[in-house]
Amino acid sequence: METIKKIFIVLGSLDRRIIFIIVGLSVLIPLLKPEWVDLPIRPTPESQIVFDEINKLNEGDKVLLSFEYGPSTKPEIHPMAIAILKHLYAKNIQVYGFALWPDGNFMSTEAFSEVSDDYDKKYGVDYVNLGYKPGGEAVIKGIASDIRTLYPADLQGTSLNDIPMMKDVINIEDFDFVFSLSAGYPGSKEWVQYACDPKNIPLSTGCTSIQVTDIMPYVENDQIRGILAGMPGAAEYESLVEAELQKMEISGKPGEASGMMAAQSIAHVVIVLFIIFGNISYFITRKKNRKG
Amino acid sequence: MNNKVIIWSVLFLILLGLYVLGEGLIFVEGSRVKFAAILLVSITIYYYIDRARSGEEIYLRTIPGLKALEEAVGRATEMGKSVLFVPGISDLDQVETITGLNILGHVAEHTAKYEASLNVPVSKSIVMEAGRDICKESYLRAGRPDLYSDNMVHYISDEQFAYAAGVNGIMQREKPAACFYLGKFYAESLILAETGNSIGAIQIAGTGSMAQIPFFVTACDYTLIGEEFFTASAYLSKKPELLGSIKGQDIVKLLVMAMMVLTVVLNGLFQTGWINFDILSYL
Amino acid sequence: MLLKRQIPLMIVIGVGLLTLFGNFINNEAVRGFVDNDATQWFDIIASFAIFLGALNMLKLQLIKIIKKQKNWQYSILAVAGFAFAIFAGFFYRGANFITIADIQDGQLAIVSGIIAEELNETNPYDIKTKIMGSQDEYEIDKLFMTEGNAKLFMEKLTPFVGVINLKSKPWGAHVQTKGSLFYWMFINMITPLGATMFALLAFFVASASYRAFRIRNFEATLLLVAGIILMLGRVPIGNLIPWWVVSIMLMFGIGAIAAPFIKERKILLGIVSGGIIIFIIFGTLMGWNQTPPALLSIPIIQDWIFAFPAMAGSRALMIGIALGIVATSFRIIIGLDKSVLGG
Repeated sequence: METIKKIFIVLGSLDRRIIFIIVGLSVLIPLLKPEWVDLPIRPTPESQIVFDEINKLNEGDKVLLSFEYGPSTKPEIHPMAIAILKHLYAKNIQVYGFALWPDGNFMSTEAFSEVSDDYDKKYGVDYVNLGYKPGGEAVIKGIASDIRTLYPADLQGTSLNDIPMMKDVINIEDFDFVFSLSAGYPGSKEWVQYACDPKNIPLSTGCTSIQVTDIMPYVENDQIRGILAGMPGAAEYESLVEAELQKMEISGKPGEASGMMAAQSIAHVVIVLFIIFGNISYFITRKKNRKG
Repeated sequence: MNNKVIIWSVLFLILLGLYVLGEGLIFVEGSRVKFAAILLVSITIYYYIDRARSGEEIYLRTIPGLKALEEAVGRATEMGKSVLFVPGISDLDQVETITGLNILGHVAEHTAKYEASLNVPVSKSIVMEAGRDICKESYLRAGRPDLYSDNMVHYISDEQFAYAAGVNGIMQREKPAACFYLGKFYAESLILAETGNSIGAIQIAGTGSMAQIPFFVTACDYTLIGEEFFTASAYLSKKPELLGSIKGQDIVKLLVMAMMVLTVVLNGLFQTGWINFDILSYL
Repeated sequence: MLLKRQIPLMIVIGVGLLTLFGNFINNEAVRGFVDNDATQWFDIIASFAIFLGALNMLKLQLIKIIKKQKNWQYSILAVAGFAFAIFAGFFYRGANFITIADIQDGQLAIVSGIIAEELNETNPYDIKTKIMGSQDEYEIDKLFMTEGNAKLFMEKLTPFVGVINLKSKPWGAHVQTKGSLFYWMFINMITPLGATMFALLAFFVASASYRAFRIRNFEATLLLVAGIILMLGRVPIGNLIPWWVVSIMLMFGIGAIAAPFIKERKILLGIVSGGIIIFIIFGTLMGWNQTPPALLSIPIIQDWIFAFPAMAGSRALMIGIALGIVATSFRIIIGLDKSVLGG
């Protein structure tokens, strides 16, 4: 019994470097060997709503896809961007890329180049990338009123008048749906406040886990239709899209987020175990001190 | 009810009436409720500022985090180490950054008084200039302009994690005894707070970024939560007008709570069919 | 004093009042200023101000290097990184691409094969189709960072095409174009560095939770339990936790609440263990192994915690923060709070 107590006391006062090593291993091993851990992914109601909203769209509809994330949040949000693009391309929906962050340009370029060729999508006809403009909310307000005052040309410098799919697009009211891939400010909240809510355009979002509490009030009020919450949300959406693509008999590369969920799950379990050990040690030490 | 309340109420009604009359011509249509809300909030806050100016005593509860500011600087002086102040990673267009810089002014006065060294790494150039002005003025007010140096407030990087890495490096190398995180933060908040914890510094944090508050509460000694952070500059200055505005803010919160209860009750009555008035459509 | 204090104060009050009440004024010019110009003026000022920050950073790092102050070696990295980014953005474009036209008769298959090999594509037929479909000239879908590499490839094609040109993406667009030096730097240096710093959070969350989540009092216990449920419920592993584990946790929770009222520890232990056994037996008899109730499912409890208590708390905090911002902004707009101007 004494030995067990001593073990718990040691576990309760571990050097933080040992904790870091154990957490690191708990993430690294499942990433290197994903086949060792196979966890079922259950879509949450919020992810299902996002999927259903996009599934309701028809061929030829126009979707505004806004990239508001950078390298640090890329592991969480980029898989969502890929899955969304796959879904939109499979349904032959026209995609209009915008960015409210400078880093969004790189993220959007990478996302489009990763997916467009697999679905034989042509730039200027099936998708266009207008890129980043500085100004935050002012850009959203500009898109809500007249896109051409802000964007005379696309990311590569081609005039909007020379891009076929920009012909009938004047402002946000010409879009059937808006999806914001958001990691902070400006992001989904600003899209709600300055464009989608005033103009009544349906909006969904994918954001980092930490932002979910900020955005949930808008989801509860139906101002944002569903939410993809962090990497679990990305994994859930990937599983829904893969099932849908299978139904449509379209093959494709598997998503990244699903593979990373095992690592995240194990890491969470490890952290919970550390908390439990820490508390057991805390009680044993407290009892010892009281007796002493 | 005193005369001032009547005067302000009448003024509120006149201005609202003017707005309603001018709707469509001078004023935008469909924003009556928004205008009325802004007017009500402004008048309420100003009324209490006026009352404070007239000599009314304003009671404010103790905010431990703000009380500990001077103690933290004193601790750093005793240990012969520096004070680190991080005003967030946003630019001067955010109210949190302005609030953080206001508190920097008070911290700088203490560091001038106690002759402790102050290090303020910033993420935005405009914040750097504003921070320098504020520190210079504080050192002048404390009678120690000789101790001030422009290099106290220095720029690191606009990029979020480059800034966090830079500040972490400063913490690991210089090991400040007191760390203040007061401004707008994003994901780097826990990185900064945990590093500060590992070097044994006393940490005081305050932010309006809701998602970061739990991280600061977990890792810091004192955290200014929500409006406590925004009242800091008024609280520390002890000027009656500023204290009056805090009371005004609290009264506005009371009005918001009353409005919420009223809305729930009226909506409930509407849903059950007892009244025909749908308050939600009006709001 | 006028220039340093009064004039800035008048600007703050004037612009503040205009921006606040401009939302309600039915005038194109005012709305235009409020909606677009005001934000853009700030962005322009902030963009020029970046020079101040960059020069300050360079100055401090160079002084460290010149005077060989402590850890001056790291400053070399800082200055080198800065210089490299400036070089990649302003001086070296990269993003070179090749266009071909006027392909000689019978040489289309050879040209397609050469291009397919360079692009690592297995089927030259697709490239042949694209070349035939292009109107004036065909842009080869590969970007070269250096002209040297591009010219090496051009030499392979020159015998078979009539017109071959080496071009570069325009300045400005080059930073976003794959194949430019700046893009390479962003993807291969900035992205991994940023992701690494963000990944540090995982370790810091572990050490912070380990240190801070202790059962010291009722509130701390509530925080601990909610934290554990949310951590497990948000990930797929939460679905695998069986109902009887949740019921054990529930009984421990009830025991923790009852502990201050039951002095005899043996009685408390008996209640908790008895409760666990009864729960498990009852659940097995009710068939919970096949269809567990929602109350004993971690993901569903997690959804509830998120949707109700967490949401209520965050909304209240949001309202408080919003009011704080309103009050602070009001003090600044009416000129009451002059501390932002330096005193």
